[in-house]
Amino acid sequence: MAINRQVGVIGQAVYAPRNAAQASLEEGLYAVTHAALKNAGLTIEDIDGIVVAGHDQMDGRAITIMMASGSVGGVTRDILATPSGAEHAFVLGALRVRSGMYKTQLVVSWSPLETENINDVQRLANDPYYHRQLPLDDLASHALQANVLEHSIPKLRDAVIELTRQMRQNGVKAYPHYSPAPTEKVWIEGGKMLRYPLTQGMVSPAAFGAVALVLAGDEWLNEHKDHSTAFVHGMGWATETAYLGDRDLSQLTSLKAATQQAYVEAGITKPQFDLAEVADATAYQALMSLEGLGLCDRKNWVDAVFKGDFDHQGSMPVNLSGGASSFNPIFCSGLMRIAEAANQVRGCAGAHQKSNVKKSVAHGASGFAMQYNTVVVFGKQPREALK
Amino acid sequence: MKVPRVGIIGIGQSEFKARRPDANYPELVREAVTIAMKDCKRELDEIEAVVYSLAPDALLGIGNAERLGVDAVGARNKRFMRINTGGSTGISSLAAAHSHIAAGACDLVLVAGADKVGECGDSQTILNKIWDPVYERPLPLGTITMLAMSAVRYMHKYGMTEEDMAAIVVKNRAHAALNPKAHLRTPTTIEEVMHSRMISWPIKLFDSCPQSSGGCAMVLASEQYIKDNKLDAVWITGVAHCTESYFIGDRMGNGYIADHADSQAMGEACQRAYKMAGVIDPTKQIDVAELYSPFSNTEFHAIEGAGLAKLGQAPGMLKDGHFKLGGPTPVNPSGGVLCTNAIAVTAMVRVAETALQVWGRAGGHQVKGAKRGIASGNGGDHQFFGAMVVEA
Repeated sequence: MAINRQVGVIGQAVYAPRNAAQASLEEGLYAVTHAALKNAGLTIEDIDGIVVAGHDQMDGRAITIMMASGSVGGVTRDILATPSGAEHAFVLGALRVRSGMYKTQLVVSWSPLETENINDVQRLANDPYYHRQLPLDDLASHALQANVLEHSIPKLRDAVIELTRQMRQNGVKAYPHYSPAPTEKVWIEGGKMLRYPLTQGMVSPAAFGAVALVLAGDEWLNEHKDHSTAFVHGMGWATETAYLGDRDLSQLTSLKAATQQAYVEAGITKPQFDLAEVADATAYQALMSLEGLGLCDRKNWVDAVFKGDFDHQGSMPVNLSGGASSFNPIFCSGLMRIAEAANQVRGCAGAHQKSNVKKSVAHGASGFAMQYNTVVVFGKQPREALK
Repeated sequence: MKVPRVGIIGIGQSEFKARRPDANYPELVREAVTIAMKDCKRELDEIEAVVYSLAPDALLGIGNAERLGVDAVGARNKRFMRINTGGSTGISSLAAAHSHIAAGACDLVLVAGADKVGECGDSQTILNKIWDPVYERPLPLGTITMLAMSAVRYMHKYGMTEEDMAAIVVKNRAHAALNPKAHLRTPTTIEEVMHSRMISWPIKLFDSCPQSSGGCAMVLASEQYIKDNKLDAVWITGVAHCTESYFIGDRMGNGYIADHADSQAMGEACQRAYKMAGVIDPTKQIDVAELYSPFSNTEFHAIEGAGLAKLGQAPGMLKDGHFKLGGPTPVNPSGGVLCTNAIAVTAMVRVAETALQVWGRAGGHQVKGAKRGIASGNGGDHQFFGAMVVEA
């Protein structure tokens, strides 16, 4: 069955308070919604439907969409929630526009610091019989993945530390006010060992953030041809199994599946983008993302990093925003990547805008050791097949 | 803009009981999926996407419990997402699956989920946590007390009595006795309902839904796929959602936004779904209704929200037999939520039962000649409302 309607990102905003302890989640959601609508040149009255993504346990609510609904303008509107992942909210929002039932969609996700201990919250996602007793949280699962990769690829650790440094330098340029992690090699590789082989310097602490995007379909886009728009050329999303023991953590078969879906839809046979925004809870994951997207095989990872291929002046700049390596609102990090890739195409990326961006790719991941993978390809021009 | 047609080709409901110690959570989902796949004579490998229906994690005691269901629904390396809008999750998940197909992204989508509400300890303690931790959570609010206040308001506005509420229970239990999938299947009487234990006035034990454990799955397909494979199907012709405010206090007092007695947003959701389906007069064009009503009193305003009675007139029409099997517009011929409530899939069961009715496959509780039905789902603190029109 063929996709037969355009959908584009026409507005975006990020909320990242300087003093998270003093910021109310509800007010943050209102602020980010208001800013995204303003960026799109719309009011809430122009919005047909809303998709949000929040995490009940991180928010301390049993059905967190309830709390969010008022702040994002959901009252009297059609609002759904995808708690499986922030990036899934984008996918559903885009599908709803493409269905022809909605002219516009607002997509919002957030990641607060309201719980006493995020690691304990994450451990609740383990099945209660076999894995709950283990000290298995998101970071531990990422560490297991890093371990397996280090074991099979010589000099990978050095490359990961260098890639982290490059992405942190991007973060300093992009968002200097909320990129606190170290940018020097000695501090990245050093510090307390959090989960072997991940040191405190290699990962960014959890941060409070929210992100909102406004999507529009054919009708709106045809009436606003001069509006800066990132057209969705392709989307793919897929999942691994939940049980880590059933997976080869060095591989991401679901990312390959998601990539194939997105590239087929976008008509891409040989991937070439101006930049990529990829999942990087650790830089090991960023490299896995690049391989899954068909942008760099693992046998070339080390050389490519040290050649500067992924740096801001490289052949394939990665995470010019700094990525989650610099600013890590854990639950909405995937939607942040999508928003950043869209922003670059729209020419709205601010201090870290790359010149003349025509095509970008975003990859978001959620769950233990990247269980859920989502790929979105953006273009400055409408999808060729639908022009 | 024309929206492509989406069909329902397979339905699976597990056994619903208070406890299902014979099946763990993924197994319960799988039970429903297996029935649905057999029903549509398709293989899991053919499924292109899965929309996972799961309401609060807290009822299962597992964070992001949908992750543990991935293999149970055959989703590894496939498109997969979870929906949660509270009690309306099941119908919201179907709406999301509808978007997958209407957008042209997929031809064949599985919607599946399960819940073990009867094994969660105390659902009302968990459901108290849906409210704002500062303003309303400290109150003794649960979904029962919340809707008891709605009942009191409905009594005040429209003169409903406790006996009227009991009559809903008697009707639905009689219907459930004919439905082998229902959890509570024992017929009851007005006297028995009236003498049951008071939970939160005027809601008594028998006015309340059970805490059920079980699963439901449905397979949706594009019109082209259905034609190409010469499949039997019924059609989703209307789908919509609408939302009320979060704070209960906004539905009461002098400055209320929406009256807590009425299902204002549900009415809006139904009207939107009817508009999409081309239904102008539901009293004449709707043959059967499966309306989400976890307490006896809420069925009255659900009937009115669905446009099957004018505001305040549902109790009188019930007395006249309007909504029972054999009446002009049977409501909840399956026994409804009042007889089965596995929260994650309850609103999906409403659509599944409506589909079975218009398909002519409802068995002992079949509404004769039903060709078009309305299903609804409520979620949050009577906040999120979904509606779906299904036609033969």
